[in-house]
Amino acid sequence: LHRGGLAERLCQLQNRERSAVSFWRHQCTSDVKIPSEKSGVLTVKILEMFEECTIQVAICQQLGQSPATLLSEDAVTSVEEPILKVLFARETAAHLKCRPHDVIHIYPPWQKLLLRNAGGPVIMNTYFSQKVLLSEHSQTREKPYGLIRKNIISLAQTFRLDDTDDGMCQESSGDQVGRDPQIHGKQDSKQHPLAQSAVNDSLLEMVESQGAVGWRETQVRVVIQRVYCLPMREGYRSHVQGTKPLCATPVTDSDPPNVRLCLLVQDAYGMFSEVQLKPLSSAEDAEQYCSRWEGKFCCLAGMKVLQRTTRGRALGLFSLIDSLWPPAVPVKFPGQSQDSATMTTDLSAPSFCYVLAADSAETQVEVDEEQQVSTLYQPPAVSSLKEILQINGCNERCSFWARVLYLRLQTKHSVPINQRETWLFVTDSTLQHEAHRTPKVLAVAVAASCVLSPEITGALGVASRFVFFKDALWGNGRIICVERTVLLLQKPLLCSAAGADLSELTGPVGLDELDSTTQTNSICAVRGTVVGVNESTAFSWPACDRCGNGKLELCPQDRGVLYCSQCSGVVSSPLLKMQLEVFLSCPSRSQSTVKVKCPGLFVLINLLLSLQSYEVQSVLGKEVGLLSCFVHAVSSHPDCVALEEIVLL
Amino acid sequence: VPDDLLLGLKFIFGPSAVPALDLVDQRSVTRIVSPSGRTAYQVVGSSGKLYTCYSSCHFCTCPAYGFSVLQRSESLLCKHILAVYLSQAVGACQELTVSEEQLTNILLAEDEEEG
Repeated sequence: LHRGGLAERLCQLQNRERSAVSFWRHQCTSDVKIPSEKSGVLTVKILEMFEECTIQVAICQQLGQSPATLLSEDAVTSVEEPILKVLFARETAAHLKCRPHDVIHIYPPWQKLLLRNAGGPVIMNTYFSQKVLLSEHSQTREKPYGLIRKNIISLAQTFRLDDTDDGMCQESSGDQVGRDPQIHGKQDSKQHPLAQSAVNDSLLEMVESQGAVGWRETQVRVVIQRVYCLPMREGYRSHVQGTKPLCATPVTDSDPPNVRLCLLVQDAYGMFSEVQLKPLSSAEDAEQYCSRWEGKFCCLAGMKVLQRTTRGRALGLFSLIDSLWPPAVPVKFPGQSQDSATMTTDLSAPSFCYVLAADSAETQVEVDEEQQVSTLYQPPAVSSLKEILQINGCNERCSFWARVLYLRLQTKHSVPINQRETWLFVTDSTLQHEAHRTPKVLAVAVAASCVLSPEITGALGVASRFVFFKDALWGNGRIICVERTVLLLQKPLLCSAAGADLSELTGPVGLDELDSTTQTNSICAVRGTVVGVNESTAFSWPACDRCGNGKLELCPQDRGVLYCSQCSGVVSSPLLKMQLEVFLSCPSRSQSTVKVKCPGLFVLINLLLSLQSYEVQSVLGKEVGLLSCFVHAVSSHPDCVALEEIVLL
Repeated sequence: VPDDLLLGLKFIFGPSAVPALDLVDQRSVTRIVSPSGRTAYQVVGSSGKLYTCYSSCHFCTCPAYGFSVLQRSESLLCKHILAVYLSQAVGACQELTVSEEQLTNILLAEDEEEG
């Protein structure tokens, strides 16, 4: 060793210290009472211990000198007392055999180190320590000396890969010592509020590292692409009717929760996930969530993975995902550095998707409503109906703004009422003003799985409304509204109009005229000549002029007067209701027998009544103008068309 | 340097303390700077061998570092890294300016040796 240098000095000091320590230890083992009230003695209670690089680190609480604090084993750790980190050399720790809840006296000379950036003070040079034995009994029921957790400093820490602290050339050379352990045991995580936990930006990484249940300690930041309601399948009351099981409670029921609010989210790597949130009793609030949440950033925590679904198993979900692919902005690629991002044109569409669900109380979904909409968000691309008809593919999601002309519920009796489809007949300016051979009106089938808010269903039945269809499905020449399609009464603020003519359609609309291309379940306009009346089905009856009740009775007192039981009153001037089937000869479809069922006093019946004659002969040959009709059936052999006169909204 | 500090060093760094202080006494640590501001440290080991220590993180090319620090997690650093810190603290660091190319060679040469 270099003579006169620091090393030589340390050697000498070390030798002296070593003999002092062995003398101390000798004193401890022999029952010489060492006064503990001497000044400079530190009394601590151990809370937690672990080992790091051969040093035993004990997180302790400094105790006051009062014997009461020392003696009560079960004393609750008071918050005011300072927390210290006490370091013990390996030999000292072995000698003390300390473990949590032990109280230790630390005699001088000990040293205190105050670190620049870490927490509380660190106590070192603790060779002269003695454990305080609380009572005579404690010796006998001493718990076995358990293993102490070893804290391994990660390479990332050694090589300073995550932290942004100052470099090596700093004055306080002791800043590596006593740094808080980065690896938290299970018991620590419960004390850490979610706000402090790391925010991830990869869904895949979250699922793979956190597992299927309980994402503790970390949260993932995603962009909400779509908000919609799904009918809840669990908790359905199923009962069998004949051989057909009925399933799924009706989606428009108001009381029991039967729809679930769901989000389709996308992370910074372009990966999608469907998040199933809370049940709602009706879809009413969903529209609000839609406008407030779509496009915003959201932090998810405490989710559980319901399933990992693939393209083949969830066509509906993936048709929606495909409509959002490729991403609007370049996405990150795993393994790349943070700043660079890949161009997305070469990336193939996702083939799998995780479905996440709220995991009871642990779940947190925090939507950052204040922030601006993310650049990753892709609002629905609005097309005109004409453009949609020209789409080549199948199962393509499309969004459009159209006027609903007529609504019809499916009446097939074999299908239970809550599973029946609703048909909406829609049009827009591009179909109306088109000269070529495109239909003027399109039929949109709304499946039972498409959740409609009560507001929509109420509005649709009353008057002709413009409705925004978001993410409807186009395929096989039909537009259908299924799961994840949302119907809104207002155009969303953010939607990209891909050349669509969004001008409101005012004025009367034209229907396609009945011709050889007319199909079942469509609506058309009919003109022709009356060639016959089906007298066997002709029927007329009085109805109450107040409530419209068609089942009037004869008044018991006065048999000439009609009485309505529904509004409990005499009907003095009843309405006349009629039902009639009329055969027409239509020039546009001259070979067919056209049968028009008139279920009420609509245009045709009123026209016939205006002739002021009930003779069938006078009716024959009468010209009938454009009637709006619903096509029940079209058959070629025999060539006949069964229509029903309707009133447009 | 007060005795307390020396004993503190001994407590924390254990067996590395005395050898590191010896290296400081012998002025074995050189701080190498290049015109762009990049730095590295070189320490003459006890056997005369030259070891390179990084300034941005704890790294040393000596075998003890690879074993005790990286592999076994037994120590926080090796005696050379500690010597670098201590030399800085007491101002016993030698300074040397080299060209960019030379510094690059110093940093890369170690890889080639081990590779």
